Amino acid sequence: MPLAIYIGRRLVFLVVALFGVSLITFFVTRVLPGNPAYLIVGVQADESTVEAVIERLGLDEPIINQYGHYMRQLFTGDLGDSWRTKNPVTTDIADRWPATIELATTAAILSICWSVPFGIVSALRRRSLSDRLANVASGLGVSIPEFWLGIILILVFFFHLDFAPAPIGRTLGTVPPEVTGLYTLDSVIAGDWGALRSSLAQLALPAITLAITTGGPLLRVTRGFMRETMASHHIRSARALGVPERSIVLRHALPNVLLPVSTMVALMYGYLLGGTVLVEFVFAWPGIGKYAIDSIAASDYAPVLAAVLLSACSYILVYLVMDILHFIIDPRTRT
Amino acid sequence: MSISAGPEAAASIHPAPPAPDRGDVPVLDVADLTVGFGSAAKRRSIPLQGIHLQVAASERMALVGESGSGKSLTAAAVLGLLPEGAEVIRGSIRLDGEELIGAPERRLRDLRGGRMAIMFQNPRASLNPVLTVGGQIAEVIRVHGDAGRKESWTQAVDLLAEMGIPDAGRRAKDYVHQYSGGMAQRAALAMALSCRPDLLIADEPTTGLDATLQQQVLELVVEQVASRDASLLLITHDIAVARSHCERTTVMYAGRVMESGPTSSVTESPKNPYTAALLKAFGTVDQRRMYAIGGVVPTLVGELSECAFADRCPMVGPECRDGVPALRSVDDRQVACVKA
Repeated sequence: MPLAIYIGRRLVFLVVALFGVSLITFFVTRVLPGNPAYLIVGVQADESTVEAVIERLGLDEPIINQYGHYMRQLFTGDLGDSWRTKNPVTTDIADRWPATIELATTAAILSICWSVPFGIVSALRRRSLSDRLANVASGLGVSIPEFWLGIILILVFFFHLDFAPAPIGRTLGTVPPEVTGLYTLDSVIAGDWGALRSSLAQLALPAITLAITTGGPLLRVTRGFMRETMASHHIRSARALGVPERSIVLRHALPNVLLPVSTMVALMYGYLLGGTVLVEFVFAWPGIGKYAIDSIAASDYAPVLAAVLLSACSYILVYLVMDILHFIIDPRTRT
Repeated sequence: MSISAGPEAAASIHPAPPAPDRGDVPVLDVADLTVGFGSAAKRRSIPLQGIHLQVAASERMALVGESGSGKSLTAAAVLGLLPEGAEVIRGSIRLDGEELIGAPERRLRDLRGGRMAIMFQNPRASLNPVLTVGGQIAEVIRVHGDAGRKESWTQAVDLLAEMGIPDAGRRAKDYVHQYSGGMAQRAALAMALSCRPDLLIADEPTTGLDATLQQQVLELVVEQVASRDASLLLITHDIAVARSHCERTTVMYAGRVMESGPTSSVTESPKNPYTAALLKAFGTVDQRRMYAIGGVVPTLVGELSECAFADRCPMVGPECRDGVPALRSVDDRQVACVKA
């Protein structure tokens, strides 16, 4: 099957999935208890004021009409307005989304860098020290709550050692001129090394927190698949015909292991892009997760819907990229 | 003693080519091979006990026995690829006179694929799913010779064509999931024979193939091995396969060799009661009921102190429990039975 057809099919699936997500999220947010009109005008307001707000928000219409109206808006790229921030949701997201992307991407890279090689080496050296260490590391990564780890890292590296800066936001220095919205990248583009240092310093602890907690399962999966692959019949055959161990690991085993591991990476990255609420709270990181939670607390429907759609879209797009990668690596998907 | 049992069908053994001049040294000489699982202090089982096996130059030897008798483990020991936790307790394995037990891993790797090769059952699983079939054969050629990428690829394509793969140039670029079971086994044979080994071990090469393909693949294995003057150790649980394709047969039971000799003698007039029972269990077309050997295979947790088959043998006597019977020459073969 040609790659274009394959991608086309996946894009159709993306549209269908997003429609489904929008439908479910819309109805779920509407049936939640709490009336945003009271939150907007305050509980002291008289009934006529409340009625006016309900009418202005269109909440007096049948729910199916409200959904139709929302979808029409969505097709024009309008995600509605947030009554809490008084901004269009697209503007709020444009402000916060780069912060989440920067944190998620850095955390994912760090996570892959420590867990995948560690998983491979520990699988190749069973019952060795590295294998035992991998067992402990993956166990800790899986079981430690990320908010707790974040607090411990702040306590140690900021409070006691004074090694890290105060965990308040994306930078304590100057904000680089916006090109991509990612402070580290924009600092490099602007050649502002001071801003780069400051943004990297702010990014380090939340990214490390997420890299440790997401790396645990990734390490476990990598080690498991590597062990399984090294015990497979085709590896036994290659070894029985004198293929050197280096080629067995790098050429014969690794591509087979990277297929399931990349799926796990996609799952992890999609989760991170959806916003890591607890870590964003602990480090006062102005990302999309914190925005969504604040909006839920205020019954601010439009940002919640937008955040969920964005999260779904991230997952689906990351999976699309991963599917394309699988299409290239794995010949079985091409037939 | 001669025990007649089993089918009377005439053996159709392929004529052996004239043996190359390698002196009297067998290609494979396994002596007193004993393999155990676990450490010496905490031995869990001893699945191979005192195996003796010789395969002469250009000879086709069948290694026959029921599942769990130790056939495949013997092959793994020969290749120096025992499963994790297993070790050779004692014995010797010589390939063309060269001792393999204790040989450095680097030397064993040179010998694997170069001087001894193996093809396994389930060929689809034996080939890597993400590498092209031709690429895998070419790699084995490169590992054991001086050929470059292009030359090794050409040789791989030629080998596939020789094994009867149609349109070999194009099919070499395919992956194993695009091959049928029979084609995959042909490709596995091409890979195993790519460096002209002296010994090919075929471990149940036709398991999982349909009956018509089984015969074709076996014919091909025998033909290709013969054309290269190589020796064949054919591992099978099917005594009919041994009868039709191998000159000599070794019968294993519970990790021991029970009988070894010319296939026609072993299958037509077995001297070990186990061989006789195995042949009887195989049955014939006109046999009304399947024959089953009574009792169970002994658990091999320690070294045996009596004949492994004693508890199931219809001819058992007190002398059978007085130590493990050694393999001894009886007429044209070797038999491990005090009553032979």
